[in-house]
Amino acid sequence: MFARAPRGTSGSREQKKRDFVPYLYVLPALVAYSLFILVPWAQSIWTSFWHWDGIGAATWAGLENYVAVFSNDDLSIALRNGLGFIIFYSVIPVVLGALLAAVIAARPRRGTGLVRTVLFLPQILPLVAVGVIWRYLYSADGPINQTLSAIGLGGAARAWLGDFVWAYPAVGAVGTWVSTGLCVLLLLSGIQKIDPSLYEAAKLDRCGPVGLFMHVTLPGIRKEVVVALTVTLIAALASFDIVYVTTGGGPGLQTIVPGVLIYRLVFTSNEVGLACALATVLSAIILVFVALIGRLGREQT
Amino acid sequence: MHHRTFLHSVAALSAAGLFLTACAPGGTTAATTGDQVAASDELSTEEVTLTLMSTPESGAATEATIAAFEAEHPNINIAYSQTNYEDYNQSVNLNLSSDESPDVVLLNAVGNTVKNDLVIPLDDYADLYGWNDFFPSNQLNQWRVAENGSTLGDGGTLFAAPAGFSLVGVYYNKKHAEELGIDTPETVEDFESALAEAKAGGVLPVQLGNGEGHAAFIVQLAGQSASGADAASAWAFGHEGQSFDTPENAAAAQLLVDWADAGYIPDATTVNGTDLQGAVENFVSGEGLFLVDGIWDAGKVAEGLGEDAGFIAFPGENTTGIGTSVAYAISSRSDHPNEAAAFLDFLRSAEASEQQFEQGFMPNDPSVAVADAGTLQGDIVDAWAQIAAENGLVAFNNNATATMNDTLKSGTQQLIAGQSTVDDFLDSVQADWAKTHGQ
Repeated sequence: MFARAPRGTSGSREQKKRDFVPYLYVLPALVAYSLFILVPWAQSIWTSFWHWDGIGAATWAGLENYVAVFSNDDLSIALRNGLGFIIFYSVIPVVLGALLAAVIAARPRRGTGLVRTVLFLPQILPLVAVGVIWRYLYSADGPINQTLSAIGLGGAARAWLGDFVWAYPAVGAVGTWVSTGLCVLLLLSGIQKIDPSLYEAAKLDRCGPVGLFMHVTLPGIRKEVVVALTVTLIAALASFDIVYVTTGGGPGLQTIVPGVLIYRLVFTSNEVGLACALATVLSAIILVFVALIGRLGREQT
Repeated sequence: MHHRTFLHSVAALSAAGLFLTACAPGGTTAATTGDQVAASDELSTEEVTLTLMSTPESGAATEATIAAFEAEHPNINIAYSQTNYEDYNQSVNLNLSSDESPDVVLLNAVGNTVKNDLVIPLDDYADLYGWNDFFPSNQLNQWRVAENGSTLGDGGTLFAAPAGFSLVGVYYNKKHAEELGIDTPETVEDFESALAEAKAGGVLPVQLGNGEGHAAFIVQLAGQSASGADAASAWAFGHEGQSFDTPENAAAAQLLVDWADAGYIPDATTVNGTDLQGAVENFVSGEGLFLVDGIWDAGKVAEGLGEDAGFIAFPGENTTGIGTSVAYAISSRSDHPNEAAAFLDFLRSAEASEQQFEQGFMPNDPSVAVADAGTLQGDIVDAWAQIAAENGLVAFNNNATATMNDTLKSGTQQLIAGQSTVDDFLDSVQADWAKTHGQ
């Protein structure tokens, strides 16, 4: 590397000005980001230290809301459910996505574009609409049960979202359905960046399709896997729409997640400060997970 | 960007954000009121426009009443608007505290609205117009709020005036009853034997959808028909020292469990996976002898079952029903509270009552509630009259606290699926209650 030109007294001002210029380019984005993301975020953290019903005057709460968050029985159930959703929202879609992407990329066929579009379709639907559709699919006399009956498995038919055992995986499967397309697309773009000569070389070393996938494809898309994991993991821990629309957290508390609890605290019991405390704890947990994944991605280099 | 620098920037920006917002969230002053006007039934002779906000379900009859009111008061114009139930409840307090506050609002719960003085006390108007003599006391008590802002009932300040009433009772399929040779049950024993006979005759005894927690209706009705309406109301209104853990409520919760065990209701998964509308659809398609539901579904049931649709009050020691009124309140920011109160008073007129009855609500003026005997509407009018005669109307347990609906929903779902015991259920309900109303 070249050493930086020594800073003379004459060049210093010029240099400073040049250092400053890039920030000007960032400024509009930074202003918008601060106004709509950072300030509300800070405000929500600030509100978490107050008892506030959303309308009237607030009273200082100190850490009381945080104490309440950690002594809430429902919350531990909600957190456990949210963490479990990582399997449905992140792990299965990334594994499935990697396999599908490898198959699609291996030999471009006619119709690949269509497959990609169809797989990505869930991403462009509002999650509320996704929830409404799946609630219908899962209902007692919905298409899934009709299909089961038609193929002689009527005994397995049930109101899936009302079942204490099946409601959770049923809601999780909706997450898988939504996330998989995104993972396929992300990982496909990663695979297409891999130098074809690597595959040639591996083939010369008598690598089969499985070997190619394990030794060339997977290492080549590590960065994309990290991105896919990060995005879907946030979706899992911060899940709300799908759960709220399909089960509302039921039956019992089987599918309750922190997002639904936060919503209830704000709109049902008007405990806005407590809701903000819970939201802050949730974002802290998400940040820890995102940092961990980022680290994993780097350490395997 | 280097990570440490990034984190530093975030910290710095957050700190800046805190400085920007370094004051208590929310309003610091009490709700500013509109023009201070003494309560009077002498109305302005100038042109006055009142804005009114409601929901489609509750507001249809009210909207239809406006023309008759405007004909009587040519200088008063009422602008009606509506939003769906859930959006309405989320936005009503924000609307009331905004500069563009509507004058008259549908009030679904007193909670935060009354606590923040967003609506005005109506006692002066009740005296002026004689509402206390017109309405049976338990029809207004639901909107009377004590000083503490959470206890309801007798002696509290009145904050809303009823437009019409809904009632929860028992629908039954007359065709099934006839084929099974079952008479309309009048006692608990009759009811139980009717259920057993239906089961033996291959008819589902009770249609039920508990996806949204409506099994709580059965628990409440069974409990209060044993304990009587007064005891049940005291708990629902949050009176000091009340408990949900009574022998009557324990028996009522056990009843639900027994029904599930005996197959009197569909299997637990189907019950918990079906919402109220799904259950109504099943019922009108002939699945079920009984259905516990509110008269808001009377139109649908009448249309689906025709002459086979019947309705009774829940059979028990005491004749009771669960009921609430569609009620309206006046914004603290209204500049025309007297004219708004005149409209509230108009809601008990014959014209308004007819509109309510037509939309399926029990009207403020019972004399307009006339229906042919033997029809579903005739049955409902009879049941309403019986309950009124015994002063048996009790407010919804679901409204006992802001969170009670969620608690009853998950509680009954667990109970039916055998995931919790009757004691667990009673404890969780009482714990929720105690959080709002004290031990």
